Amino acid sequence: MAEAVYILCALTSVACAVLLLRAYRRTGTRLLLWSGLCFVGMAVSNVLLFVDLVLLPTTIDLFMPRLVATLASASVLLYGLIWDAS
Amino acid sequence: MLKTMLNGAVAMAWLASALFFLRFWLQSKDRLFAFFALAFTMLAGNSVVAALLDADDERRHYIYVARLLAFLLILYAIWDKNRASRRGGV
Repeated sequence: MAEAVYILCALTSVACAVLLLRAYRRTGTRLLLWSGLCFVGMAVSNVLLFVDLVLLPTTIDLFMPRLVATLASASVLLYGLIWDAS
Repeated sequence: MLKTMLNGAVAMAWLASALFFLRFWLQSKDRLFAFFALAFTMLAGNSVVAALLDADDERRHYIYVARLLAFLLILYAIWDKNRASRRGGV
């Protein structure tokens, strides 16, 4: 059950990133670029989540890289919102 | 300690983003922004709960269910927006 949720998290974040970046290419709205890049980071974080908790043994902990990827995604979006969108 | 602090930083960043989207929604009345604000608020709550729960707490998996719901909300928001623009709406 947990594995399915991790995979779905990864798939939905990839789908969000693709749709947002495609919309950016079509319309050129820069907010869509920042949101898309944010979801690219979230996709990385979610793939790492699956690799960490399902594929790798419990002796290896990827918590920190996952957290850094999430923080980077949130920061990219916040950067875009503060410097670009207003 | 560092992990808790970073989780707090992530929560703050999601919450700040949610407030930006809330403002855009109030300005433009475009409900895409309302969905985004809601989804990023969910992600912020997600990080707060992740910081508060122990690593071996068995309820930890539910964090990712909430995260999945936030992503699905974003996907629905984009689909809803595309449908509206195809109909000639805003």
